[in-house]
Amino acid sequence: MNPQDSGRAPSFGTSFRSVFSFFFFLGKRTGKSRVFYLLGLIPVAIAVLVRIVMAGKGDGAGAVFNEILMVFFVTFDIVIMSLFYGTSIVAEEVDGRTLPYLASRPLAKPAIFLGKYAACVCLMVFIVTTSLFLSFFILNGQRFREVDLYLTFLRDAGVLALGILAYTALFAFLGAFLKRAIIIGLIFGFGWENIIQYFPGSTQKFSLVHYMKSLLPRQPAGGSGRLAILLFKLEPTRPAVAVLVLLGITAAFLALGCWLFRTKEYIFEE
Amino acid sequence: MTAVIEARNLSKWYGNVLGLSDVSLEIESGITGLLGPNGAGKSTFMKLITGQMKPNIGGVAVRGENVWNNFRLFSRIGFCPEPDAFYEDVTGWEFLTGLLRFYGFGAAEAASRAAKALDIVELAADKDRRIRGYSRGMRQRIKFAQAIAHDPDILILDEPLSGLDPLGKRRLIKLIKDLRNEGKTVLVSSHVLPEIEAVTSRIIMIHQGKVLAQGDVHDIRELIETHPHMISLKCDDPRAVAAVFVADPSILKMSFGPDGRSLVVETHNRDAFFSRLQSIVAEKGIEVDEITSPDDNLQAVFDYLVVR
Repeated sequence: MNPQDSGRAPSFGTSFRSVFSFFFFLGKRTGKSRVFYLLGLIPVAIAVLVRIVMAGKGDGAGAVFNEILMVFFVTFDIVIMSLFYGTSIVAEEVDGRTLPYLASRPLAKPAIFLGKYAACVCLMVFIVTTSLFLSFFILNGQRFREVDLYLTFLRDAGVLALGILAYTALFAFLGAFLKRAIIIGLIFGFGWENIIQYFPGSTQKFSLVHYMKSLLPRQPAGGSGRLAILLFKLEPTRPAVAVLVLLGITAAFLALGCWLFRTKEYIFEE
Repeated sequence: MTAVIEARNLSKWYGNVLGLSDVSLEIESGITGLLGPNGAGKSTFMKLITGQMKPNIGGVAVRGENVWNNFRLFSRIGFCPEPDAFYEDVTGWEFLTGLLRFYGFGAAEAASRAAKALDIVELAADKDRRIRGYSRGMRQRIKFAQAIAHDPDILILDEPLSGLDPLGKRRLIKLIKDLRNEGKTVLVSSHVLPEIEAVTSRIIMIHQGKVLAQGDVHDIRELIETHPHMISLKCDDPRAVAAVFVADPSILKMSFGPDGRSLVVETHNRDAFFSRLQSIVAEKGIEVDEITSPDDNLQAVFDYLVVR
């Protein structure tokens, strides 16, 4: 297609795909991604260590995986990754002064925003799923003939993917809205999200992690285990509602982010 | 001639800082130079006409269409931004093909256009190196390549010559002139007078957010009445010429050069001076070696308008 001949821009779908491809490709190479590849090795290393220590001691390794899942993946890894990738969607273009390369192309601003969001999410899901897969099967390898094991893995990966979708949408919106979004994101992700779980009643429903935990029914129900303090006040939301809420939050923040990115003017600091 | 770019009462400010104030102008096809010192408002103007920023007051139209949030228009515009900023982890080739895909070109078309643009800026041999490893000159050239790769009919080049060595500058100036010869509209900014002078004589002079002058540099000089024209004459008998002009009321000042062969005249009526000079030279048989106008150039115009 010759743009001069047509006098038109590529369709929204074509724009979205081209932005996605460029930034997914670029994202794999960045220093940030290398840090998160390495971070993803932590649970794998722990899993290997646990397998060595617990060799021949029965079925305890599976329980260790639950703790890795809740402490590392749910409350740390996906939050920190979403924070850094999500806020960078707009901020890195503004701080790095590369925004003109996108904003001077015949691309709808929402296609840029969503294309970059999708590239970040896919990259994060890839990193997290690889790490989850390795640690899960290292710790549950002895049950590899059980079909339930694979379903459990798929559910865990699905819940983490939903969490990544929602957190990244929220942080992408913050990144489009605020100059120092990462600080607000840190306070939200590691302050609010953790503290609010200790509040009684339905207050905890004002956190994203509540809906993720509601989808992970393997957690200790009443207070056994070292991590019980993190969980004993959980009043789970029904799984279907939790999924809908996470998807709804994702859609709402993406819509807000697209609107903001389209209408807001980004001025580089001299 | 129809205006390609049209600004009407364009104003932009950043908080309390004025970026551009009530700018109205029209830019036609060919090369137009945007000249002004750093912080004059050149980049602000370029960002406004490429839709990077929204005007506070007024509007800007390209080919009759409003620019802000009109992304379809950008298929016809190539923009070379001023900052030395890139996606550092991609190669020159990946950078160009990736950006070309944003126009809806297929992979083969994007590759062919990227190859052509790299050839033009003489970076084909370095296309597989990451931009992080490019020299300043190479970075300027790849930035220029991304602006021309999709063959736009309007090019907005913000300080494209900065950071280039003299040879690189000469090459790029030739490329810009070639683009004009292809019928394109090129707006090129610089704070370096000789750079603009080498590219075009049609200029927009901008200072403190305001357009001071617009048009051909010689025409602008003609309009500056506060400063008389300086004419320097080299001949075998400058004193004979001076003797004729000494009683002329249009001559404000005359001085002889240290070499004894030159005469510098200041006048408000250049045409009358030249007409009279012609007859004197013919009558007295004076041999004139050189006539120049030391202040009929961009530097002088700029000094008169900006420095005052």
